[in-house]
Amino acid sequence: MKRVLVDSLAYGKQFLRSKIGAFFTFIFPLLLILLFGAVFANVGSSTFDLPVQDLDDSGMSHALLAALGNTTVVRISMVSAGTNLQEHIRSNSLSVALQIPAGFERSILLSLAANGTAWANVTVFGDPSRSAYQAVIGVVRAVAEQMNFGLVRARPIVGVDTASVVSAQFQAIDFFVPGIIGITVMTNALYIMTGMCAEYRTRKYFKLLATTTLTKAEWLTSKILWFSMILLVSFFITIAVGIWAWGVHVRIDAISIAFVVVGVILFASMGMVLGSFVKDPESASAVANAIGFPMMFLSGSFWQLEVMPPYLQAVARVFPLTYMNDGLRDIMVLGNVDRGLVNLAIMAVLAAIFFVVGAKAMSWKER
Amino acid sequence: MAEAVIEVKGLAKHYPGKKAVDGVEFEVRKGQVFSLLGPNGAGKTTTVEILEGLRTPTSGTATVLGHDIAKDYRAIRGRVGVLPQEFEPFDRLTPSEAVAYWGRLFNRSLSKEDVRHRIEEVGLTDRAKVQAVKLSGGEKRRLGIAMSLVGDPELLFLDEPTTGLDPKARRDLWALIRRIESEGRTVFLTTHYLDEAEELADDVAIMHKGKIVARGAPQDLVARSGSRTTIILRGAGPEGLNEVTRRGIPATLSDGDVLVRVADPAQMKPILAKLSALEIPLKDMYTKRGTLEDVFLSLIGAKMEEGVLRE
Repeated sequence: MKRVLVDSLAYGKQFLRSKIGAFFTFIFPLLLILLFGAVFANVGSSTFDLPVQDLDDSGMSHALLAALGNTTVVRISMVSAGTNLQEHIRSNSLSVALQIPAGFERSILLSLAANGTAWANVTVFGDPSRSAYQAVIGVVRAVAEQMNFGLVRARPIVGVDTASVVSAQFQAIDFFVPGIIGITVMTNALYIMTGMCAEYRTRKYFKLLATTTLTKAEWLTSKILWFSMILLVSFFITIAVGIWAWGVHVRIDAISIAFVVVGVILFASMGMVLGSFVKDPESASAVANAIGFPMMFLSGSFWQLEVMPPYLQAVARVFPLTYMNDGLRDIMVLGNVDRGLVNLAIMAVLAAIFFVVGAKAMSWKER
Repeated sequence: MAEAVIEVKGLAKHYPGKKAVDGVEFEVRKGQVFSLLGPNGAGKTTTVEILEGLRTPTSGTATVLGHDIAKDYRAIRGRVGVLPQEFEPFDRLTPSEAVAYWGRLFNRSLSKEDVRHRIEEVGLTDRAKVQAVKLSGGEKRRLGIAMSLVGDPELLFLDEPTTGLDPKARRDLWALIRRIESEGRTVFLTTHYLDEAEELADDVAIMHKGKIVARGAPQDLVARSGSRTTIILRGAGPEGLNEVTRRGIPATLSDGDVLVRVADPAQMKPILAKLSALEIPLKDMYTKRGTLEDVFLSLIGAKMEEGVLRE
């Protein structure tokens, strides 16, 4: 055990003196959490700009605009009546605009008088591919519906209540934290281990180590110990910065820590397997990228798997990082311990398989 | 006779289409510098790596410090020091850190004073706190020797320790190797530098195409090759050769120089007297002792190019 600690500390000194290692362990996750936090911390309270052309300029059109304004979801700006609205949208690259037609109030009054056989429509112009367009349509429909109820003095009978499955205080950024942790563990353990194995073989460090009393198992354990140590430090720093900067709410317990340690064993072992077959550090980098990049983007680190087409979801299920991201979310965000433990068990089995294969594939001796 | 620390019998390492080591046999005695000498590709490194436990032989047996290398090398790991060919230290550790770290890998807990002493032994005191990436080739090699000695080994393998070093760095390393020998350790040295083997080795095995082709102390090998000492009449030319042979002295012509080989040391004085009496134009006359280069020339046709053996 002494040799493991000594080797781990000697490697640690070298690791910390290499600026690349320190960047990927400490700076990279902080950059991610600060950037994602800036983008997603306020999701749910977004306000959309809504240019409105009121061709009716009546009491009813003013009432509709006041109701829209009260939602706080849209920020209304007026477009003059003489402007070609569609041309205005195109020339200003707008996502959406609302037009209240001339005769809007008259149509409402006629409809009331005719007992609902006539219509008073407003038109939402815009680009359906933009999320603001869909959001504004929803708001306008909801406000129009409320106005209808008011005009006919009716009250809605069937309503829809919403209830979050997670505690009310969770925000979108909370869901990204596990992904950031997963990516950090994966990039450090997989990329560095792949490169290290190639470098140790090319520079004959393995041969050198083989002349000492250190065993291959001790060497592997020392690397896993080091990565576990620094990635746990990185884990706590990342969450602390997330709490400080964005008020992140996540649970930290023994299982989430176990995810980091098992993740290190799993990805370091994968790195060992890859590193055993590449010829030099340059090839190692290419191979690690070829595996790591698709895994980073398809394993649900940045978005939910459900938004991807079914065949990509199937691919994602092959990547071990998917189970780490899902498991960490289960434990840290959703509080679903049972599902989290299932994901942890899957990772542990994969880690054991890769560890055995890696240890067999990696040779310190010449053939 | 001192006990054998290495015994090799019928050792072979075959690769598809190549016999890197082809049934070699030798033993190395305790406390001596044994040199495995040969041109590049002769099979020296393959042999030494088998003895270091870094390669598995195809056939044959070898014992190191009384242990069969195929069965229980782990038992002697701590008693053997190794400086591999093209040794590279860990870039981001200083020599002091590397020596302390390596010591722990040999189950030695070195105090700061111990580390300082070991760094001083190899002349790296001024560079003790500099990261290895900034050391010169010679300094790296000296650090390698400090690391290989850190477990106080009984047997030290040095594989081409001076390759690529400047003349001063080579001489410094030679002095260090002599000191290691004087401490009673056995040194197994592979080299393709003839002068290195002549300077350091008590016992030499010459390897060629995977086989040991000659074996013995450097001076014995030279004597056996039949070229003990040569008298050289520089610039004497064919005319000088005629004059020399006419007086019954066997001689040869080489690049305009007349070479007189003296097989029996007792004949040296009378031959020199006869040659001094000759009235022939020449630029210089001097004697040259037989060297391992002559042994190589006679055995395998190898010659020296810039101090390195070439076939």
